[in-house]
Amino acid sequence: MSKLFGLLRQRFLTAYSLLFFVFLYAPILLIVGYSFNSNPINMMVWKTFTLDWYRSIFGLSTQLGENALYVESTDQLLAAVRTSLVVALTTTLFSTVVGTLTALAVARYRFRLQSFYRFLLFMPMVMPDIVLGIALLIFFVSVGMPLGTGSIILGHCTFLISYVFIIVSARLAGMDTRLEEASADLGAGVWTTFRRITLPLIAPGIAGGAMLAFIISMDDLVITYFISGVDATTLPVFIYSMIRRGIKPEINAIATLLLLASFVIAAVGLYLRNKQHSATPATTEKDPNDE
Amino acid sequence: MNTTDTASSLEASRKPRLFRVPRNVHWGLLGLLGPVTAFLGIFFLMPLVIMAIFSLLEPGLYGGVVWSFYADNFGRILGWANGPIEEFDIVYLRILMRSFRIALITVALTLLVCYPVAFWVSRLPPRRRNFCLFLITLPFFASLIVRLYAWVLILRPSGFLNQLLSTLGAIREPIELIYTETAVLIGLVYIMVPFMFLPLYASIEKLDRQLIDASYDLGAGRIATFRRVILPLTMPGIMGGAILVFIPTLGNFIVPSLLGGAKVLMIGNLVEQQFLYARNWPFGAALAMLIMSVVLALLMLYVRTTLKRRSPRGTAAKPRTKDRAEGLT
Repeated sequence: MSKLFGLLRQRFLTAYSLLFFVFLYAPILLIVGYSFNSNPINMMVWKTFTLDWYRSIFGLSTQLGENALYVESTDQLLAAVRTSLVVALTTTLFSTVVGTLTALAVARYRFRLQSFYRFLLFMPMVMPDIVLGIALLIFFVSVGMPLGTGSIILGHCTFLISYVFIIVSARLAGMDTRLEEASADLGAGVWTTFRRITLPLIAPGIAGGAMLAFIISMDDLVITYFISGVDATTLPVFIYSMIRRGIKPEINAIATLLLLASFVIAAVGLYLRNKQHSATPATTEKDPNDE
Repeated sequence: MNTTDTASSLEASRKPRLFRVPRNVHWGLLGLLGPVTAFLGIFFLMPLVIMAIFSLLEPGLYGGVVWSFYADNFGRILGWANGPIEEFDIVYLRILMRSFRIALITVALTLLVCYPVAFWVSRLPPRRRNFCLFLITLPFFASLIVRLYAWVLILRPSGFLNQLLSTLGAIREPIELIYTETAVLIGLVYIMVPFMFLPLYASIEKLDRQLIDASYDLGAGRIATFRRVILPLTMPGIMGGAILVFIPTLGNFIVPSLLGGAKVLMIGNLVEQQFLYARNWPFGAALAMLIMSVVLALLMLYVRTTLKRRSPRGTAAKPRTKDRAEGLT
């Protein structure tokens, strides 16, 4: 009898979990589906398959009437994409370098302010977006700095450095310091040791941090919303204001392309990380105490 | 101990660190920490200080600030009447309370959604388990605005859910789904799920199955075992997840502005209004200071309790749970 209950409970748990995955993915798949629906009046009612929404966001000729073209101008969209890419690439480069330097300092030195630096780098990650966003807005306006691509880049770096720092620190903590000592013993200088031993070993961490920084920068809405000013608009802010003005079929196509891009980047990143995990710690995998 | 002492005493025998520290000045350290110190000092700490100052300034009549001390920004949040025109009004206090309530309910709902699933995933064979973890992490990387847009599509009057229900004959005319507190909660739970799941999973995976078996062997029922063995052991994950969900939820303004409309305002919307429409920056800064202090207070509380649990004196935590499991008879 209790075995039957156990089985039922197991079934229930499985059903519940499957529902959970439906909850996670159904809304996303819905957008993808609707982006191919040719019905211009009610996108919830399926008519026929079309690529017109995709064509229209790129400014290509479509079979839609003139009045069905909703994206005010393709140039605006492309400008937003361009701004997003410029911001993301610049911030990724800067925050990866600074974050890695900081991680090296905190991991390889002992100094009095060490815990202060850990705290300082922890803060931007836990600071609510809206607080950081308006603090930066007040700051930029107070010091008379014009809002635009430059202010967005500076704003993103304040919290992205922390993400890179955390990931590279984790990599440094898991690294065998004896390798560095051996290199020093064999007569290599500080720079040579760093370039030939430390850097190759923490490179995956740096790459992971950079990838995360890129994704977060591309996706940031709240902080950008406050400090972007009138001239520069990033893609998330562009989509946000588009949705606020009304639901249009083009948004489905833009959203689908964005989803595709972020899923590809994330999937590649997670795959590479898993591959490393299964490749490097051969010792821990055979550890009998593991299970 | 002083860094230079350590370095110079060891230097004679071998080079223990990657960056050999010169006699007195840590040039290497300065070089490594210089950029981050300058950058975060100017673009992180200074903005926060300026924001704190702004929250204590008098708002100008046509936007801008008057440089004189003014404590009423904080008073106004509590309903303080200031000046001859304004009256005692608890509208802000009400929005504040609603934000706390919504954030707490979101924590409870994400916990309810994630806890059983985390258990289920932890018992899967490794390959499928990794795949499930991958599926749960993946939406985390997808654009936030796109994921919320999906719910706008689903919940609006001519949206997916209303179409579905009317096709099934359950409803005659569209029911009001969007611009309700429920809609805001759905949106928040949807985007916060990964933040709750991952810490929860980490603590559930570590759960020692033998302790559960021992509890059953000693005669405890399912409920007693859950309440006195499983729940205490997974508490670190629950607390971690709760903090990670609560903090971004409290100040969130994107979800209420897309799914709550003008009806379900949260404190984040209030901040946005003060900065972009009302142009009362000092009041907005005061609201932001309030969000920040709540978050900092919570974090300090969290760090202190977890440190206590991990400190040598607190190592009793784990054995104590074992004791409790044994004491069930």
